[in-house]
Amino acid sequence: MILTLAWRNVWRNSRRTLINVVSIALGVWLTVTSVGLADYSYRQMIDDSARMGLGHVTIQPIDYLDAPSLKKTIAETATRQESIAAHRQTRAAATRITGQAMFASASRSIGGSFLAIDPKQESRDINIFLRSLVEGEAFTNSEVRAVLVGEVLAKNLKLSVGRKLILTAVDRHGEVVSELFRVCGIFRTGVVEIDGRMAVIPIERARQMLHYAPDEATMISVFVDDYRNADVVRDLLATVIPRDAASVLTWRQTQPELASLSDVDRGMNYLFLFLLGLLIAAGVLNTSLMSVLERRHEFGIMMAIGTRPGQLSAMILIEAASMGFVGLLAGAILCVPWAYYLIAVGLDMSSVMGEDYTAANVLIDPIWHITLYPGRMFAIAAMLFTLTLIAALYPAFTAARARPIESLRDAA
Amino acid sequence: MKHESPKTAHTSEVVVDVRACTKIYHQGEASIHAVDNVSLSVRRGEFTVLVGPSGSGKTTLLNLIGALDAPDKGTLAIEGRDLGALSRSQLALLRRDRIGFVFQAYNLIPVLSAAENTEFVLALQGQPPTKRRARALDVLKAVGLEGYQARRPNQLSGGQQQRVAIARAIAPSPAIVLADEPTANVDSETGERLLDLMEALNRNEHATFLFSTHDPRVVARAKRIITMKDGRVVADTTVPPDAHQGPPAPC
Repeated sequence: MILTLAWRNVWRNSRRTLINVVSIALGVWLTVTSVGLADYSYRQMIDDSARMGLGHVTIQPIDYLDAPSLKKTIAETATRQESIAAHRQTRAAATRITGQAMFASASRSIGGSFLAIDPKQESRDINIFLRSLVEGEAFTNSEVRAVLVGEVLAKNLKLSVGRKLILTAVDRHGEVVSELFRVCGIFRTGVVEIDGRMAVIPIERARQMLHYAPDEATMISVFVDDYRNADVVRDLLATVIPRDAASVLTWRQTQPELASLSDVDRGMNYLFLFLLGLLIAAGVLNTSLMSVLERRHEFGIMMAIGTRPGQLSAMILIEAASMGFVGLLAGAILCVPWAYYLIAVGLDMSSVMGEDYTAANVLIDPIWHITLYPGRMFAIAAMLFTLTLIAALYPAFTAARARPIESLRDAA
Repeated sequence: MKHESPKTAHTSEVVVDVRACTKIYHQGEASIHAVDNVSLSVRRGEFTVLVGPSGSGKTTLLNLIGALDAPDKGTLAIEGRDLGALSRSQLALLRRDRIGFVFQAYNLIPVLSAAENTEFVLALQGQPPTKRRARALDVLKAVGLEGYQARRPNQLSGGQQQRVAIARAIAPSPAIVLADEPTANVDSETGERLLDLMEALNRNEHATFLFSTHDPRVVARAKRIITMKDGRVVADTTVPPDAHQGPPAPC
């Protein structure tokens, strides 16, 4: 009966209730949009960053993170890569060598970095350079003297597809070594720092140049379907790789700048959402309190005929919960077509942020999409619902503590 | 809580016992003795009226007996339970189970139908829906509102609303029904019908009634008349059965 009464009370002043429902629904819409956009951008940045070489989880020599050197390597990469790639928790794994190098063309020399890859283990899905080819083709054999260069590097070295490039590096013995490559493709990631300094070469050719053993490399990059599972995969891999053989690190450890950026941004986002939640809660508090003060005499009657203070409080909380539930439902209905549009089409923000906006050396897509994680959506709903209930606590307390005789006298 | 059927109770049993009760209201520096050292008792099955001029303390005394307010001095017991010893929640349970209220302004819950208003207290008692609905329909029939159970208060006349209020008061079979000016807001014909109804409930269901009223028609039907003035009981008269002229109309 209290439930029925509360539900009907909610609709006694339907205009006021609708205003509240709309404010909750708009809050849901804003929150889902804000969190969805943020989650999409984090996912995009972290995935793109992983595709640039390190993966979501990186297996690399001990101390390599603090002092990277081509002298530090891991062995038995072939068997490890195969077993990791076959694991159900991982999407892919690729053996890679990365290091500093000097690139020279007929016209000039520029310092930069190289990434040596095995084309059999790579795909556009896990390698941003293959995905970003704008000229030529990727090499398919890991022993050829072929190189992919960034668009800016190619321009600065006055290179084009088919032209020669000399790559000079320091091998595992500390000796300076050089190798001649022919440009087979040019990529454009959109990040000037990458496009102006990076070249991609076949891994077997790199091993020969650097005097590495056939299954030696500087890292195995591991990719997962959801970057949030990186910790789980790291822990899993740490149990199968001897602690003294290599370090297993997540993207958070290998790219602390990106991790900090996403953490700070997420923190700001949560602060915004909290303030939004407070605004909604203030609206519910206002409505609930007005509704309680208007019904003081009625509460007096209810108490006179035997309603206990706790039951009165429960009724007011149920009223707020009903309003919150309807608001969440309305918000969900509002969000479905909007989310569908953002996922399928997205918001084109290129006129505001340009085509080459970067953060932490990652290109940010000017077309804004959203990513909706079920857990996060549930958390949003739970947060708004809880705030609605918290906002009704004071009115519920006010109603319950009133003495029947005073309430009966009020507006009697 | 003890819940004795009125039909099996002895009419000599004391339902309300007021002893030396005083209630003082403060207005600025002045103290008003709304109820001043009042002692009285009401036995089961009585049909008693409190009369007196406005401000004589009738409503305040009803509020004290109804456990809506607490006396500043004295003690008050319902069926032997000292109200001063009960917590707010226990007082609410006492009102729910043992006291029925009929207010001057009906005071039904506007979003509930006649049947739902009638069964509201039964629902608070935790009675199952089928049982409480059956009881509500029985009581509504008893007060002449058969077929009106689905109507909301705003779809009922003043008299009909007051009948629902009476039905709500008697549905849980309380020890006593307290009625504060129950005929004040209805026309004379409706007032007569309401009195017929309450008289019949008193007679047939042995419901105990305590009214406060100015209405001479109510006084004419009373079996006992308590007169108050300036917060004090100045007369307490039992009307002999043969002196009673009220029409014993069925409801």
